[in-house]
Amino acid sequence: MTRENNLAVNSFQNASNTSDRNQKPAITKIVTALLWLLFSGNLVYLSLNFFSIPEWTYGNLFSINGFTILIWTTVTFFSAIVSSYASNYLMGFRYHSRFMMLCLGFTISVMLLVMSNHIGLLIVSWFVMGIFMSQLIGIDKDWGEAREALKFTQKYFLTGTLFLAAGIFVLAFYTGEFTLTGLASAVAEVPLWLLTVSALCIILAAVVQSAIYPFHRWLLSAMTAPTPASALMHAGFVNGAGILLALFATLLFASNTLTILFIIGGFTAIIAQFTKLLQVNVKQKLGCSTIAQMGFMIMQCGLGFFNAAVVHLILHGFYKAYLFLSSGEEIAQTTPKKPLELKIGPLQAIIVLIFGGLGAYLFATWTGKGMVMDSGIFLTLIVAITVGQATYNIIKEHSLSIVQKILVPPALFIAGIGIYALMYNGVTVLMSSMPMTAQPTPLSWTQIIFGVIFLLGFFIMKLGVYKKLPWLYVKLMNLSQPHKKSVLMYKSKSI
Amino acid sequence: MNQPILNSVDKAAKVIGKTWPLYTFVASNPLSGYENTSFQEAVSAAEKNFNANAFPEAKLYRQAWEKGAIDKQVLISLLEENGLSESPESYLKQIESQKRSEIINGNHEVDRIMAKWLASFMDEGLAEWDMPYKSEGFYNSWRLLVIYDSETGTTALKDIPKTSVEALERLLKGYTESDYTRIFTHHLASLPGWTGYINHRTTSNSDWQKDFPISLIDYLAARIWTTQKLGLPILPEESNYTTNTEIQKLQYLWLKAWEQTWQGQLVQTLENESIASPSTRTTDVPDVQMVFCIDTRSELIRRHVESKGNYETYGYAGFFGIAMDYESANDGIVRKACPPIVSSAYKVSEKAQNTKKDQFISFKQKNKISQFRNYFLRRMKNMLPSAFGYVEGSGVFYGLSLIGRTLIPRKLYQANDKKSSKMEHLCQPDINKANNEDILPLGIPLEEKVGIVKSAFDLTGWKKFAPLVVFAGHGSHSANNPFSSSLDCGACAASPGRHNARMLAKLANLPEVRKVLIESHNILIPENTLFIGAEHNTTTDDIVLFDSEVPASHKPLVETLKSNLLKAQKTATQDRLGSKGNSVASAQEKANNWGETRPEWGLAKNAGFIVAPRSLTKNTNLDSRCFLHSYDWEMDPSGKSLEGIMQGPMVVTQWINNHYYFSTVDNNTYGGGSKITHNITGKFGVVQGNGGDLKMGLPLQSLFGSDHRMYHQPLRLSVVIQAPISRVSEILARNTHLKTLLDKEWIYLIVMDPNQKNDLFKYKKTLQWESASKNNTSSKILEKEIAELAFSELAV
Repeated sequence: MTRENNLAVNSFQNASNTSDRNQKPAITKIVTALLWLLFSGNLVYLSLNFFSIPEWTYGNLFSINGFTILIWTTVTFFSAIVSSYASNYLMGFRYHSRFMMLCLGFTISVMLLVMSNHIGLLIVSWFVMGIFMSQLIGIDKDWGEAREALKFTQKYFLTGTLFLAAGIFVLAFYTGEFTLTGLASAVAEVPLWLLTVSALCIILAAVVQSAIYPFHRWLLSAMTAPTPASALMHAGFVNGAGILLALFATLLFASNTLTILFIIGGFTAIIAQFTKLLQVNVKQKLGCSTIAQMGFMIMQCGLGFFNAAVVHLILHGFYKAYLFLSSGEEIAQTTPKKPLELKIGPLQAIIVLIFGGLGAYLFATWTGKGMVMDSGIFLTLIVAITVGQATYNIIKEHSLSIVQKILVPPALFIAGIGIYALMYNGVTVLMSSMPMTAQPTPLSWTQIIFGVIFLLGFFIMKLGVYKKLPWLYVKLMNLSQPHKKSVLMYKSKSI
Repeated sequence: MNQPILNSVDKAAKVIGKTWPLYTFVASNPLSGYENTSFQEAVSAAEKNFNANAFPEAKLYRQAWEKGAIDKQVLISLLEENGLSESPESYLKQIESQKRSEIINGNHEVDRIMAKWLASFMDEGLAEWDMPYKSEGFYNSWRLLVIYDSETGTTALKDIPKTSVEALERLLKGYTESDYTRIFTHHLASLPGWTGYINHRTTSNSDWQKDFPISLIDYLAARIWTTQKLGLPILPEESNYTTNTEIQKLQYLWLKAWEQTWQGQLVQTLENESIASPSTRTTDVPDVQMVFCIDTRSELIRRHVESKGNYETYGYAGFFGIAMDYESANDGIVRKACPPIVSSAYKVSEKAQNTKKDQFISFKQKNKISQFRNYFLRRMKNMLPSAFGYVEGSGVFYGLSLIGRTLIPRKLYQANDKKSSKMEHLCQPDINKANNEDILPLGIPLEEKVGIVKSAFDLTGWKKFAPLVVFAGHGSHSANNPFSSSLDCGACAASPGRHNARMLAKLANLPEVRKVLIESHNILIPENTLFIGAEHNTTTDDIVLFDSEVPASHKPLVETLKSNLLKAQKTATQDRLGSKGNSVASAQEKANNWGETRPEWGLAKNAGFIVAPRSLTKNTNLDSRCFLHSYDWEMDPSGKSLEGIMQGPMVVTQWINNHYYFSTVDNNTYGGGSKITHNITGKFGVVQGNGGDLKMGLPLQSLFGSDHRMYHQPLRLSVVIQAPISRVSEILARNTHLKTLLDKEWIYLIVMDPNQKNDLFKYKKTLQWESASKNNTSSKILEKEIAELAFSELAV
């Protein structure tokens, strides 16, 4: 019977027993369940009432419309995913419960933000949102560098809130209106200089939140947050700009500040995309990518497509949350590779052009953007180049057969553009009650110039010209360094 | 070349260990440079250099004490021997009175700037834009770029010496040679993770090192130049660092008491076993014999497999004695697949099985396409402006993946797992010489094949062959885990061991090998004996057999084995995960949950290495705390096999054990810190949070149950060998480096002497032994004297 025996005999020391195992804090389960419940509730409500979401107001405090429900659904989705993930990931972490509470607090503050009609509520929820986020960044209080990162990011968020408050109060005290709806309709009576001051302040608040250059450094110093908190930050928090700008669309139009948005967004998109190329840490790389994507979102706002910006922030949220949550997958043994030679035959070039054009056509018809000569053209151009790039990479790949080369690109871009168009049209419906959120501007020289710059950027990247500029490398490397005190600042020892 | 400088660099370099890349995470001793000094001196020196703990934290002693892992009597007598007469409780309180300290890093600016350059230079493909001038080596490329670095201040290129040696000569002018070593030690120890990786690159001479060379001298030159440029002192002030030696002494005694308690329990168990089952020589041949790695995790699965049928198991180093590199058919990369202390003589690659040539071609084609897919996605994400269009077009798919991976990891795992050994069913391993430059591989001589097969049976003390013999390597499955290779087979340089197992099976099946074995070595492998390879998945305890070439005659045996292995998987996971329900399901979920930071425990809790026949341990539950190597002293009269085991596996287990020890006593310095804030750098390592020093060891989650609760117990390895004591002493006398490990207290050695009624003796120092037996205390004194007498001669 020895065979049975050796399983039954207990080990002579410390055989695994249940006390060796981690128990999830009760709060984890409650918060996770609550967030999933909120998400499903929102989703069901959104689907059932999609075409006719009623406007619901409560005094001058709250106002809930399609846009509110859309953002609620989005933010609860991200929070639910993150808290499910964190309930395993943070198991045994001494601040696990605190993390869950901060996560819940953050979610509620975002929900409050988008339902606020009273400006006081709006400013307070904006402020609280920043507090929750910086607390997540510095959640490990015993870690000196994390405390430094907390202080550093908090300064940014406070500055942002101050600008927001200033921008709104200027308008409010002039017009005597203290609700968003009131302000939107009173804008017409305000002198232009005051509108401009107000709009600039609000833009500053937005770009600080979205880590737009030159306010990008807080985002690159925020990796002391546990990975799921980073996911929430990059999928939720940074999107604040898109939401805020959409809420103040009327003001931005009236003050003629859209071009400013377009330019700072455009510069940020290009600088950050190049900076991303030289990042050697995966989270900083994702950080630079977020900054570039936020730049693009701001550009979309600058073109008058606030609805497109909202679609972008949702889709980018999916993308970036996924990449953060899977950021542990980047370990791999590789061998140094010589860059591939760039060669393209005339026939291939023709296919690239045809597919690019076809992609642009589909995009224009399905989204209605760029059908006439307005700022939508710019977005259509981006789509055309993207489709062209995809086609180019596929048709020069040797491992694919001719049939695959011809069929794969259209399959990809039809699916991609189709799903995007569905999202875009859906969001447009939900935002239809908001003034001036889908208002293409006339095609301007700035837009044309940036169109050219993007094309140039495309060729510079493609041809690898930038690799011949060592000074640029060092410049961008230093530009993307985290806050000094948040790296190697302390030496600690526990006894 | 300036000899004094070079010598001082060498001397200073012992302060740092080697940081292994995470794709081949080898658990090594971070203080390996100090192995010639005593353990105590080494840890104190390291404490000073790194500001690191030398001994376990107070809370670990507290937990061990409270759960009885430290025997009160043992502790009291140790304390008394050292003139300490107060109660253990009061000493524990003294240890606990030490407070956590946090000081400002005096080298903050230099450390930060150097970490920035090192991370950029040593990147292995994470960045699309490489550091310019990289192929000219670290010093040169740094020199050409630093002139643009505003953080260091403006400099003209001509003011920076052309070579690193020149730079050091100029910078160190005015210092004496004795200062050199101090200066270098200080600067190397400031970023031990990064300098350890330089160390790894220069010794392994990896592909990246060949194309982009870096050396410790390059690093020191750049660093000391930067230090001077920033106006900081090159020679650190004599630190007023004081350790509380009284507390250290207490900590060391507590550690020893802890270790002795454990040894006592182990000795008692083995002694009882040797009496209960005095090496029973059963005559019946088992249905199947299975060979597992010596890994501590094998102990559990062997217990469970043995209980499911007439099965016999062996323990053998998981690279199965084949010193090979393996060329993957998936990505074409050649990886080391034998212990890092062994140099690879062979290279194994895959070729199609005779009947499956076409399928293999289409398999390779699919691989190419999936490689292209990754390249394609990377391009779309990186390029302007496709990055923006790509995000909009693919966002919804990422959203769906978020849901899938978060909510149904197990379903996705089961779907993927089916495909995971597809290659093994199409291919057969093919062995060749490692540095064969010929285009046509010619294989290896017959006698080398015979040698490989023969030593497997020699070392494990094999006697009879069952109709089916399975060589089971092991590998781990985990998702989103930077440290996944730390859970793979250490003997295969942190790769899964499946290919070594398949290779050995193939060699042992060759008729010409068997012919030589019987004719020249008197080893008879019956004609109906079949060898096959397998892999034990240590996360799910699934054992997959590579049985695509099994002849019809053996099919029924294989099928029965498979169904029994499923039963073993069930009970093994229940045992390991402590769950009564569907434990296999929870194990599979752990294997593929991307939020799981503790997919399995790896080698945590390891504390012993037993070199003896399985019969000695078969009826005990060793709780996965021991490495087990099969060995039969009677079949090894010359001691050659034992010597091989002590030179190879014993040293590897010591590395692993020391790595676990140091990662546990100071997880932030020697380990990896917590996984939850890891940031992967350069595709090979992790840093914490925003950056900083490269992490060099196992993360907190591989060692601790929670931030506070101990899981691994940091005890030095106790090796137990069943063999005549004279044989062991002779081997030690011949191998001074092994003797040094013992004399300097890096490991313990206990011998169970079959010539002395299986009594146990513990190695003291300089080939002296003392009795360690628990049962027959009456004869203790006598035998001790005999033993000492016997070996004092040898010592001379």
